[in-house]
Amino acid sequence: MMWLLAQAGHPVAMHEATLAHYLFVAAAMFVIGVIGFLTRRNLIVMFLCTELMFLAAGIAAIAFGRFWLDYTGQSLVIFVVTVAAAEAAMALALVVLLFRKRETLSAEAWQELKG
Amino acid sequence: MCALGAVGVCLALPRRGLTPQVVGAAVAGLAAGVVVLALTLKNPEHRPNVYFYIFAAVALGSAVRVITHPKPVYAALYFILTIIASAGLYLVLSAEFMAFALIIVYAGAILITYLFVIMLASQSASEETDKGEQEYDISAREPIAASVVGFLLLATLTAFAFRGASELPGSVSATSGLTKHPLSVGVVERETAILADMPRRVEQELRRAGLLKDGDKVVVSEDGAADVDLAGGTIGVVRASGGTERVAIPAGFMPKNVESVGFNLLRDHPGSIEIAGVVLLMAMLGAVVLSRKQVELDEELKKQQAHRLAGEPGEGGAA
Repeated sequence: MMWLLAQAGHPVAMHEATLAHYLFVAAAMFVIGVIGFLTRRNLIVMFLCTELMFLAAGIAAIAFGRFWLDYTGQSLVIFVVTVAAAEAAMALALVVLLFRKRETLSAEAWQELKG
Repeated sequence: MCALGAVGVCLALPRRGLTPQVVGAAVAGLAAGVVVLALTLKNPEHRPNVYFYIFAAVALGSAVRVITHPKPVYAALYFILTIIASAGLYLVLSAEFMAFALIIVYAGAILITYLFVIMLASQSASEETDKGEQEYDISAREPIAASVVGFLLLATLTAFAFRGASELPGSVSATSGLTKHPLSVGVVERETAILADMPRRVEQELRRAGLLKDGDKVVVSEDGAADVDLAGGTIGVVRASGGTERVAIPAGFMPKNVESVGFNLLRDHPGSIEIAGVVLLMAMLGAVVLSRKQVELDEELKKQQAHRLAGEPGEGGAA
């Protein structure tokens, strides 16, 4: 069982094959977010999908930071979370505003913005 | 494999009528599992921790559920599960501080805001369909095109992951400065600088390890830096008797994750913190201004007001 749990602690460098696993998970999560943003028609769920993309970017940043043994990746994630929080506040305020105008959360209610 | 995943996610997206959602999710999960397995088998001696597989499976599974669940409240709850699994991945990557910050900020603050807005913006009962799901939640828009585009992107990214990150310049495994010491050279210098900036913590740790007696002190230079030599494994110490000597660094003396992140943040990116503060302030102001309810005057009050406004100049003219 020990071979399963064996992962070197922090100061030991991570092999790039290990990094590839994390990058794949980050990429897959990002793509799931993209697909959700494109296909869902509920404004709130669309913004939830952008948060999913932020989260995936954070995983990639931390995995790279672990790979280079550098903490800048983790600092970057702090700012990603900050921007995500700011974005969530603004986006949700906008969603509430739009909902008051049209009484629906459907993105299609605003189709005339297509021009 | 990416095409298989695309078919799976496409099937799993919500649609009208009877949908093979479970089948789609199973196919997508199988595709992701095969890709991860291929990554592992390609280089079996460098497989990640077993917890990685658990957390990755939970994170991706609930991420798929976020975009496929027809009810927004459940989508938000599945997103919380994704966040917790991602925090687990951060822990495996030994980023403890960010893992807990993620749970507190994301799951605790942002997602609760989402849940509040979902409940604020829910429709009245008369407009709801039979199962309480909205029409625009049930049917996806352009699922096939979106899946194809998304998984083409994933195929490109995965091809990069398979080719290997060694093509990037200056990778740690490529520089091979790790044979003598577990830390590469630049890392040793950085960790030394971090420890030198915390003479009191160094002293406390040494005291706890029994290397310092009462009255002994760590050698501190004029600018307040402790005399730490991480590469040589020694720390300068002033004994109570007056003599100085160097003691060996006890095991487990490395800077903690929080300390390293804090020093990185405050020493290397002080301006970014200010900018983050301004961004948050602007977002707060923006949210307040946007979501402020328009004050609607009562119709009668409005008429009275109009009457008064129209009447006053006339009266003034008569007088």
